Amino acid sequence: MGFLAPLFLFGLGGIAVPVVIHMIQRERKEILEFPSLMFMRKISFHSFRRQRIRHWVLLLLRCAALLLLIIAFAKPFFRSSILATGFNGAREVIVLLDRSYSMGYNNRWDIAKDAATGVLNDLAAEDRATVILFDNEAESGLRSITNRASLTSLVAEAELSDAGTRYGPALKLVEGIFEESDLPRLETVLISDFQRVGVDSTSEVNFPEGTILTPIAVGSSDAEMSNVSVAGVLFDRKYFSGRERIQVSARLTNRGMASVIDLGVTLEMDGRSIETLTIDLLPNGSTTVDFSSVTLGDVPMNGVVRIESDALPTDDVFYFVVSPGQIVTVLVVGSSRESDNSNLFLTRALGIGSEPVFDIRTITVDDFSASDLDGRQVVVLNDTRSPSGQAGRSLAEFVETGGGLLVVTGERSVWPADSPDLLPGQFGTPINRLSRGGSLGFVDYSHPVFELFSAPRSGDVTTTRFFRYRPVTPVPSATVLARFDDGSAALTERRIGNGIVLLWASTVDSFWNDLAKKPVYLPFVHKLVEYLADYTPPSPWFSVGQVINLSSQEIRLSARGGSAAEYVVVSPSGTRISVDIGENTEFIDLKEQGFYEIHNANAVDDQPLMVAVNVDFAESDLTMVDPEELASMITGRVGGERTVNTDSTRFVSAEDLENRQSIWWYFLIGALLLFIAETVVSNRLSRTVMSTD
Amino acid sequence: MTEPTYSTPGARFVDPTVLARIGSLNLLARTVVDGFINGLHKAPYLGVSVDFAEHREYMPGDDIRFIDWRVFARTDRFYVKKFEADTNANFSVLFDISRSMSFTSKGISKLDYGRYLAACLTYFATKQRDRVGLVTFDDDIVTHIPPSAKHLNVVLHALDRIQAGRPGSFEKPLFKSTEFFKRRGILLVISDFYDEPTTLIDALKPLSYGGNDLMIFHVLDPAEIDFPYEEAISFQDLETGLKMPVIPEKLREQYRQLVGEHISTLSKLCAENRIDYALFNTAQPLDHGLFKFLAMREKLSRIR
Repeated sequence: MGFLAPLFLFGLGGIAVPVVIHMIQRERKEILEFPSLMFMRKISFHSFRRQRIRHWVLLLLRCAALLLLIIAFAKPFFRSSILATGFNGAREVIVLLDRSYSMGYNNRWDIAKDAATGVLNDLAAEDRATVILFDNEAESGLRSITNRASLTSLVAEAELSDAGTRYGPALKLVEGIFEESDLPRLETVLISDFQRVGVDSTSEVNFPEGTILTPIAVGSSDAEMSNVSVAGVLFDRKYFSGRERIQVSARLTNRGMASVIDLGVTLEMDGRSIETLTIDLLPNGSTTVDFSSVTLGDVPMNGVVRIESDALPTDDVFYFVVSPGQIVTVLVVGSSRESDNSNLFLTRALGIGSEPVFDIRTITVDDFSASDLDGRQVVVLNDTRSPSGQAGRSLAEFVETGGGLLVVTGERSVWPADSPDLLPGQFGTPINRLSRGGSLGFVDYSHPVFELFSAPRSGDVTTTRFFRYRPVTPVPSATVLARFDDGSAALTERRIGNGIVLLWASTVDSFWNDLAKKPVYLPFVHKLVEYLADYTPPSPWFSVGQVINLSSQEIRLSARGGSAAEYVVVSPSGTRISVDIGENTEFIDLKEQGFYEIHNANAVDDQPLMVAVNVDFAESDLTMVDPEELASMITGRVGGERTVNTDSTRFVSAEDLENRQSIWWYFLIGALLLFIAETVVSNRLSRTVMSTD
Repeated sequence: MTEPTYSTPGARFVDPTVLARIGSLNLLARTVVDGFINGLHKAPYLGVSVDFAEHREYMPGDDIRFIDWRVFARTDRFYVKKFEADTNANFSVLFDISRSMSFTSKGISKLDYGRYLAACLTYFATKQRDRVGLVTFDDDIVTHIPPSAKHLNVVLHALDRIQAGRPGSFEKPLFKSTEFFKRRGILLVISDFYDEPTTLIDALKPLSYGGNDLMIFHVLDPAEIDFPYEEAISFQDLETGLKMPVIPEKLREQYRQLVGEHISTLSKLCAENRIDYALFNTAQPLDHGLFKFLAMREKLSRIR
C-alpha cells in the first residue's frame, strides 16, 4: 500500500487531540465552592494530576474517524500484483499531431484530431502515452502518462498554428522520450499531411531498435481543389507633385490541381478596401496583380492583400506595412575648380535609387559654411582640402553629433595640421602603380559596407584596378575595412562621438582607378553613404517563426522610445506581452499571422509601431511524400541500446493507480459514518450525565 | 395532668429541613426543645438553692421530692418548686459565622443548622431560668449580647439576622471574648473548626479558665465528611478563595482519612482539656444530636 500524498500522514498527530480532550474534559470549567481546602492541600499534588480516560468507546470512535479522514486525504492505493498482471506487453505510445497551418486545408485538422483521439482510445490500460503537437517546433504536454482523459483533452483543445511543417524537432523529441522509456514496446503514430517541405529536417533522428512508426496521412484522398496563395507583394514608389505614391503588386500562385476563374483579389490599406481585381489562374500557375497607386502619408500604413477564401484559408491573406520612402541628405563638397568632373560619377550614382532616395547638394569647399550642414546626414569631402576656420569646427561638431563624413583623397587633397582632427589616418603623397595597377587585397566582408558583396556572384570589388592612391597611416582608434594588395589601408573607419568618418585612399571617379566603371561602383557608394547615414531599410513584413529585436535601433526610432523603454506588444490574437528593456536586448518571437502592435509605454502620443507577420509561403505547397517511405526512412536508422524494465508494476504510475482505485472515497465515507456514530454516542452520554446530575 | 404533644417517640426526631420552613425561630426552638425536654427523665441543670423562684408544672422525670404538695392540695395538679439558684447560670453561645459556615451540599447550611442549635439551646436555657447571651465572630467579634435572663428575644433576633460573610479565625475573637465571661457560666462554641486541632485547643482553652463549663459543637455538612463528589472539578476555598482542580475519586479516601483524623484528634484534645465535644452532621435531625449530647453530658457530669 502506498500513499499519493504521504505528507498528510503528519496529520496523524491530530489523533492526540481527542485523547487530550478526553483527559481534559473531566476538569470542567465550573467551580465548586468548598468550606476549606485545608485537607486537600495536605494531599500530595501528583495524586490528583494523574488522569484517567473515561468513555473509551467515544475516544476510539473519534480517533478512528480522524485516522480514516487523514488516510483518505493521503490518497492511498495498493500496489498489488493482481493489478499488474498481464502488463508484459505495455507500450510507450507517442502520438505526433501535425498542427502546421497546411493542416487547415479543407477538413484535415478535424480528421487528424479524430485520428489522434482514436489512437488514444485504443490504448490498453497499462500503456503510457504522450501527445506531441508540432509545426516547425515540437511541444509535448504531459509525458508518458496513462491518464487518457488528460491526453484526449489535450488533443481536443489543440489549435492550428500559423507555422510551417518540420518533422525533425518532433521526431527528435520522440527519440528522447523513447530513450528514457523502460517499457518493452515503443510505438509512435505520426498524424500529418506529410508535406515534402518538412522532410529534409529528419536526417538527425535515430529511433531505438524495434520502434514502430505508424503514419496516418490525412488529406491523401482529398479531391482536386485549387489552392491559391498570396506569395508576396512588391512596392513601386514614385514621387508625384511632391507626394510619394506607391503601387502595390501582389504575386499569386495556385498550388492546387484545379484552375481558378474570376478570383477576387482585394487590396486594403489601413483597414479600408482600396481596390478589388479579378484574375484567372491555371493549376500550378502564378500571376502578378498590379493595383492602382496609393498616395502615402507621413506615417506608415498597414496593408493587406486578400483573396477569396479557398480550401487553405491561412495563406489567402498577406500583411505588410508601407513606410514613407526615406530620404538620405548628402552634401558633396568638391574642389574649387569649375571645370572639374570629379563629382560626376558620385552624384550620378547617388542620383539613382528609390530606397532610400539620396538628396544631393554639391558645393565647393570655398563656399562651404556652417549653414550648409543644416539638415544633412552625410558630407562627402571629394578630393579637396579640409575646411578651415569656422567651417572646419562646424564640420567637427557635425560629426560629433552623429553626422557621417566621407573623405575621398585625390590629387588636391590637403589636410593641414591646424585642421580639425577628424581623419582615421594621415595620408601621404600618392603612390603610383601605373604598370599593372594595384587591387584590393583585403576586404572586411562582415562590415555593412561590403556585406552585400560577401555572397558568391554578388559583385567583386577586388577586380578594381588602382593606379594611384595615397598611403594612409591609421590612427590607433581607427579600423581598416579594406587594404590594397601592398598592405596600405584603402578604406579606414573612425568613430568620433556619435558620428563616423570614412577615409577612402583613392578617388571615386575614373581618374586614379577604374572603380567607377565597375558594376560594384553603384552599390558600393550607396552602401558607403547608407552606412554613414545610419540607414536601415524598414521591413514591410516578417515571417512566422522570425524574432524581432525590440531594442534594435529601428524599433527604438519608430516607437519613439528612449534608450531604455518599456514596450507592450499586442499580438494579432490580442495577447498582451509586456517587455521591459533595460540594458539587455529583448526579442519577440513572432508566432501568429497578422499585425503585431508595439506600444511604447513611456511615449506620450501612443502611436504603435505595426509589424506585419505572414505565414511561411513554402507551407502552401501541399506536395506529399509517401508516408510509408518516410516511416521506413526514419525507423531504418537504428539508435543506441536502452534498458527495458521487467518490473511490471512500475508500468503504472502511482497517480494512475490511485486514480483508478480511488480508495480514498471509502475512507472518507468510513470517517463520515464514524463521526455520525460519535455524535450519537456522545449525545447519549451527555444525556446520561445530565440525568445523573 | 395532660401530656402535651409528641406521644410517639419517633416524632421527636423531626427533620431539620422541615423545621427550616418554619419562619419564626422562637417557635422552632420551642417545638424542638419542648419535645426534647419532655422525654428527659431528669433535667440536667437542676439548681440547688433555697430561694423559691416559681412553680413549674410537673413533668415526668422531675424529682418528686420537689412537688409542692400544698399547691397540689389546692389545685389538684402537680407543681414543682423552682429555686433561684437554677437560673443563676450564664449560658452564652459563641457562634462562628465565618464564610465557611455558609456551605451546604444539599438541604440546610451549617450556619442555619448552627443557628437552630443555638436557638434551641438558648430557649432551653431560658426555660431553666438561665441567663442567655450570644457572641458571633468570624475573624473578629461581630455581635456581642451579654448574658441576661431577658435576652432570649434579643438573642433569637440576632441569630435570625446573622449572615456568613468574612473569612474566620479563632485565636483573636475567642481571646477577646474571654473578657466577656468573667462570671462562671456555660459556654457553647458552634463552629466547623477548620483549623489545626492544637491551634483550636490553644484558642479554646482560655475560655475555660474562669471555671466556665465549655462545650463545643462541631457542625459539618455530610459532604465535608463523606466527600461524595464524582466529576473532576475545581474546588474553591470559601474563605481564602484558593482554587484547586481536584479529581475527587483519587482524593476521597485520603480526604476522609484526614477529616476522620481531624475529628478524632480534636475530640481527644477536648477530652484532655475537659471540654465537651460533639459532632453534628447537618443531615441528621437537630434534636437527635441534642439529645445524644445532653444525655452524654449528664452521664459525664455524674462521673465528674
